[in-house]
Amino acid sequence: MRGVRAARVLAILVITGTATGALGGCYRVRPSSGGGQTSARGTRTIRPADVALPPGYSIEAVATELTFPTGVIFDDRGTPVVVEAGYSYGESFTTPRLLRVETGGKTTPVATGGRNGPWNGGSFADGAFFIAEGGEMEGGRILRITREGAVTPIVENLPSTGDHHTNGAIVGPDGAIYFGQGTATNSGVVGPDNFQFGWLKRKPDFHDTPCQDITLVGRNFPSDNPLKPGEKATTGAYSAFGTSTTAGQVIRGRVPCNGAIMRVRPDGGDVQLVAWGFRNPFGIAFSADGRLFVTDNGYDDRGSRPVWGAGDLLWAVKEGAWHGWPDYSGDHPLTENQFKEVPSILARQPNTPPKPIAAFGVHSSSDGFDFSRADAFGFKGQAFVAQFGDEAPTTGKVLGPVGFKVVRVNASNGVIEDFATNVGKTNGPASALRTGGLERPVAARFDPTGAALYIVDFGVMTMSERGPSPQPGTGVLWRVSRTGGR
Amino acid sequence: MAPSSRTTHVVASLLLAGAVFCGGCGTARRRPPLGPAPELTGQAAMGEAAFMEKCNRCHPGGEAGLGPALNDKPFPDFLKRFQVRHGLGAMPHFEKDQLSDAQLDAILDYLKALHQNPTRASKPGA
Repeated sequence: MRGVRAARVLAILVITGTATGALGGCYRVRPSSGGGQTSARGTRTIRPADVALPPGYSIEAVATELTFPTGVIFDDRGTPVVVEAGYSYGESFTTPRLLRVETGGKTTPVATGGRNGPWNGGSFADGAFFIAEGGEMEGGRILRITREGAVTPIVENLPSTGDHHTNGAIVGPDGAIYFGQGTATNSGVVGPDNFQFGWLKRKPDFHDTPCQDITLVGRNFPSDNPLKPGEKATTGAYSAFGTSTTAGQVIRGRVPCNGAIMRVRPDGGDVQLVAWGFRNPFGIAFSADGRLFVTDNGYDDRGSRPVWGAGDLLWAVKEGAWHGWPDYSGDHPLTENQFKEVPSILARQPNTPPKPIAAFGVHSSSDGFDFSRADAFGFKGQAFVAQFGDEAPTTGKVLGPVGFKVVRVNASNGVIEDFATNVGKTNGPASALRTGGLERPVAARFDPTGAALYIVDFGVMTMSERGPSPQPGTGVLWRVSRTGGR
Repeated sequence: MAPSSRTTHVVASLLLAGAVFCGGCGTARRRPPLGPAPELTGQAAMGEAAFMEKCNRCHPGGEAGLGPALNDKPFPDFLKRFQVRHGLGAMPHFEKDQLSDAQLDAILDYLKALHQNPTRASKPGA
């Protein structure tokens, strides 16, 4: 009997050891397998049959060969107008454009911008387009653009020349224009990763600005100095690269600021703070009952203060509240072991952050979204969120492609389900799967009737250790309609 | 147990362990996307909500992401509990004040429901 027991114990030990090794060990031994880590180049194939949808829905390509599209707007006639960014990560500058999509897929330019993209979506109200100009070179702006293409900034000089830009420009129930302003950095500290982005060389003094006064613990972060190769630098939070901070140091807040949702009247005037403590609040939408929701891109595992394991979030915005950046992910402090115990940089949190509605995949880049509001489409009240997909390895290592699809979220319980994803045995962008499906969905928006969901597909952007390689002319505008019964 | 049975037992265990290891790092989506969804009831429905809050960000939809896929893992519950409570490799551990035993049980029921209904996905037009 002793032998039997010994054999059983041995068997259990072998199984346990091997299985836990498989579960726990493969993260370290395996290379990153992000969806963009391919060598795909050249013409993009479009094949709607390669996109999986729930039964009773169909998809078609409405416009193709777009360059870095980030949004779609419907004018007062219901005509879709695509927003082309004019800038992509990877330091690729093109011309920002508004393109009216005619029947048959032909596009007609409505307006063009200068070298200050990316234009990150917008909306239409009172006979004009309102566009969030990302402001990579000259700072963010909110633009009012007439049908004839006349451009007038109603907000300028937003702190937008860093990692994350000015986003949104959505008309609220109160008639104001709501927009997001992303942070300059990953987690509050300027570092060599920002040099890789491209902006640190252009703007060596740029850093995050809080919306209210904050007090620092005075933690500083050593790094290589890419501005002076061979030298080292030490940098504190909310400070220019190479500038140290001290315990108890107060950083003065002001509006406009970074990591915030703000609003302005359609005719301009003072910018008002709505809420802050976000990282990159890219998607903005109002639910049918007028509540403001935001998607927020979570921390990356990069830079002088890397954060591991922080998912993207869907927030029901609490007006006036701080939502946690740079010391929390959702309502959890980064000091928890699930984030590898990142020490705080704020001496006092402005308030306890609210709990988010849902947490998306880490590095999924959950971006533009909209709520279904029509029985004709179904899933009424649910949020449809476009997931651009991971940018591994730049943002951190992943074991499998994350995102590259459209998901729907039940805002009442935070349950996330796939809605539009590529057919195949694995997840990923069409270029990696060698299919003609979705590449990098960046926005999802219902048409004015609510019966069709438009998906803005940024196009091919491959990734390597050197960063992103976006491919102009590969963007697509898709339309999903309900064609059958349940 | 006769010596030959013991040998068989150990060999079988090693084969199982090998199979587990081979699948351990898999990223494959083991279901066609967006087929008909099963109705989740009781514990599994509770597990779905807990999974979304605690697990989904690293294993989105049970597929690989920051962490490995879960959908294709035939591990017994006691191994999964061990992994969650103790953490191994890159995965952090979860204390009972972060994830209660009841929540963990519900998550395991939810994962079983996914295995038993491999075409888990959207329920159209609800």
